[in-house]
Amino acid sequence: MLQVLLSGLATGAIYGLVAMAFAIVFYVTRVINFATGQLLMVSIMTVSGLAAVGLPGWAAIIAGLVLSTGFGVGIYFGAVRPVLKVGRGGFAWLVSTLGVAIILASIAAIIFGPTSRAFPELLHHESVRIGDASTTWQELLAIIVAVVVLIAFELFRRRTLFGKVGMAISSDPEMASAIGANATAYAVLAFAIGGLLAGAAGVLVGPITYANPYLGDTYGIAGFIGLMIGGIEKPAAAMGGGLLLGVLSVLANTYINSQAADWFPFAVVVVVLLIAPHGLFASGNLFRRWFGRRGNVATMGTRA
Amino acid sequence: MTAAAVTAAGDIRRRRTWAWITAALVLAYFGATYGIAHGTIYTQGLISQAMIFAVLAVSLDLVAGMTGLYSLGHAGLFALGAYTTALLGHAGWNIYLLLPISIIGAGLVGAVLGTLSLRVSGLYFAIMTFIFSLVVTVILQDFAFTGGLNGTPGPIYPSLPSWAIFLGNPLVWTIAVVLLIAVTIVWSIRASAMYPVLLAIRDAEPFAAANGVRTAAIKIGVFALSAGLAGMAGWAFSFSGYISPQQFTWTTSVNILVMVIFGGINTRLGPIIGAAFVSAFPIVVHIDPLVQELIYGLVFVAIIVFFPGGVMGLVMLVIHRLTRRRSGPPLAAAAAGDTAPVGHVEVEATSSPPRRTGSEEYALEATGITFSYVKGVKAVEEVDFRVRRGSVHGLIGPNGSGKSTLVNLVAGRLRPDEGTIVANGRRIDRLDAATRPAHGIRRTFQSAVLVRDLSVRENVTIGLYHRTPNVAGRSLVWPLLPGALRDHREMRGAADTALQTAGLAASWNGARVADVPHGVEQLTQLAAACVGEPSILILDEPLAGLSTREIEQVSEILNDLRERGVTVIVVEHQTHFIFSMCDDVTVLAAGRLVVSGPAEQVRSNERVREVYLGQ
Repeated sequence: MLQVLLSGLATGAIYGLVAMAFAIVFYVTRVINFATGQLLMVSIMTVSGLAAVGLPGWAAIIAGLVLSTGFGVGIYFGAVRPVLKVGRGGFAWLVSTLGVAIILASIAAIIFGPTSRAFPELLHHESVRIGDASTTWQELLAIIVAVVVLIAFELFRRRTLFGKVGMAISSDPEMASAIGANATAYAVLAFAIGGLLAGAAGVLVGPITYANPYLGDTYGIAGFIGLMIGGIEKPAAAMGGGLLLGVLSVLANTYINSQAADWFPFAVVVVVLLIAPHGLFASGNLFRRWFGRRGNVATMGTRA
Repeated sequence: MTAAAVTAAGDIRRRRTWAWITAALVLAYFGATYGIAHGTIYTQGLISQAMIFAVLAVSLDLVAGMTGLYSLGHAGLFALGAYTTALLGHAGWNIYLLLPISIIGAGLVGAVLGTLSLRVSGLYFAIMTFIFSLVVTVILQDFAFTGGLNGTPGPIYPSLPSWAIFLGNPLVWTIAVVLLIAVTIVWSIRASAMYPVLLAIRDAEPFAAANGVRTAAIKIGVFALSAGLAGMAGWAFSFSGYISPQQFTWTTSVNILVMVIFGGINTRLGPIIGAAFVSAFPIVVHIDPLVQELIYGLVFVAIIVFFPGGVMGLVMLVIHRLTRRRSGPPLAAAAAGDTAPVGHVEVEATSSPPRRTGSEEYALEATGITFSYVKGVKAVEEVDFRVRRGSVHGLIGPNGSGKSTLVNLVAGRLRPDEGTIVANGRRIDRLDAATRPAHGIRRTFQSAVLVRDLSVRENVTIGLYHRTPNVAGRSLVWPLLPGALRDHREMRGAADTALQTAGLAASWNGARVADVPHGVEQLTQLAAACVGEPSILILDEPLAGLSTREIEQVSEILNDLRERGVTVIVVEHQTHFIFSMCDDVTVLAAGRLVVSGPAEQVRSNERVREVYLGQ
């Protein structure tokens, strides 16, 4: 059981980082960046490519993270900002970010070819024993990074003025800019953090998956599902959703069959969306939300 | 009378011309189909595929363009039709029987998806349909009965009987007919009285609901219809060879959306142009598939970033430029008309108190109303609010006194925690906002929420939606129904009359709401509320932002309504206006009733002077 939990959390940490990358961007800009998975791919491909030409591993990793962060910001200026100017109401960003996803995947495939390539080893694949379960340093590192990111983000959001202004922008961008908050700077920062987190997830998962231009799809979708399970409104909830998804996938793999990991996440997300449309960790306690709500459905649209 | 006869005759002539043009177009369409059905396999394949994607794009435009619901699940619905036909076709089912099965099956799935997701929001709908697409792909890949990754061969389309063999490839004909059906339905809706209603659901949902539109049900219905059309496309697609899961992934859903946006969202031809371009692009352009993918991605980001209106947007821009150069800006003509009042403005009416009208019977009776937005903070507390039939009743109070809340409770946007509301003898407090117009209640909003893309006249016709029978159902074949066309004509006529009564010059009627000044917008809103001939009319701050002249106009409209026996409730800050216009006045403060009674009595009330008038 501990074994399942550990490897589940390791997988979930990757999903959680991607989900959080989605959520931070959404939190500030109300945009879902559908190219988030491709940012993960960008960092994997960069690290793999640079390592192949002889760069030391740490330098390749830094370059990969810088590039995925830069691409994140690039997406904001190239595909999101222009369409938000036209109108916030529509879903034009949905199409433009999906377009970027296609562009990034095909550029990577043109440069590196559509097949998988080697990825430098980060930490030894030696197994570590915890109780009667065994894991690798690689997996432990993923879990540690996820936890550190989660705690750091929450502290940043709640304790610093910068974080609080971010909360203000997320709830009312026009009002926030009226009191002098620079919404553009926050959007850029959100896309940068999103790129960084996706890139970090790539570096952490690269040694297991190797480098492939179409990895973005797989992890983008997994992260998106983690996001939906946890809740789109809060980055911390997204991380929770990713971790839960990882554990559940490994459980399904172990106790159902080896194919279950393919369809099980979808079964989970459908069930979650049906019983708690805003995600499991959306606002405090799920049960309180259920039973605390009076039959007053008509009040929903009134705050506008 | 004669004028009406003349327009009717002109209408008939115009309709005949249109009938001829339509017939010629349909004939040309079938002629082209004949040509394609005799073309090379390459041409047939290319154009058939483009036509199937055109069906999908047109059906997606119905939900995304007209109703504002961005479905990312159309590939899944498409797959549903294709796999249903293929699998049941192998099992020996008649393929023509499978057509309605595919349509209804996909439609039902669409209805369920819509019901589940639309209770939350538009974004949630996009996400839910996206996940639906993913789930469908997984089911197709991982289960044996669908043929797994390899897919399954589609059924073979039966050849034509010997007398019809001259037509050529029967599948091309079938696909052409399927496209014609889809286009006919969607274009009919565009031409119908339903079109403004759908745009209102998209852009101005409270306005739609206030006019008796059951927005949730219509959204679900429209999505179910669109899903059915996608299922129909899937049916036709299944005959074209091997079908496999890769053809129906989420990228296909996105591609369909790209077609719509590329060609021009919410236009007649845009989705078809987009489908032709996007589906033919990879076949016609022979380059390295990876480079091609890259170009495709670049083109589609460029379009959305630089030309959000798509190809049709560009075309319209060019046409607009050309015609404007020839005839001058259309707005200048409209502006010249201005809101010139009809002449006999009785300024007296605003200064001297009117005779107190209205019977002793109550048209509206709200008793013991309590409501809170947040638990523990009561916005309205135990308020009794009685309005005499045929009276003009003012509702005043300082900011935050609960006026708007009370109005929203009566109009149905909110439901009271406690208390009852009886209108025209019926209890209404548990009913939806959309059902209240049927009980004679109409309202306007503090700041007008109209459909900015539509003309002033079309916005007013939305006010007639619930009085016109079965607009939604008939809209599918609207131009083919003489009765529907007559109703539409009458709706436009009634809208024009209402706008005239509201004091707007006729030159405004055709102007887009996005282009008109605030005052005209407010009066349009008023006309839209009046055109449905309510028995109880609620005006929420009708004077906000109006000029002196427009305020006189509103006074006149109020007097006119009073003469017609309509019960009017006016929420206003301008106490001078309230006390000169109203028979009765109710004063609220801090969510509680201060006093309610005849205007004179209320004006001289000590507490009102203290609390509100500041005297």
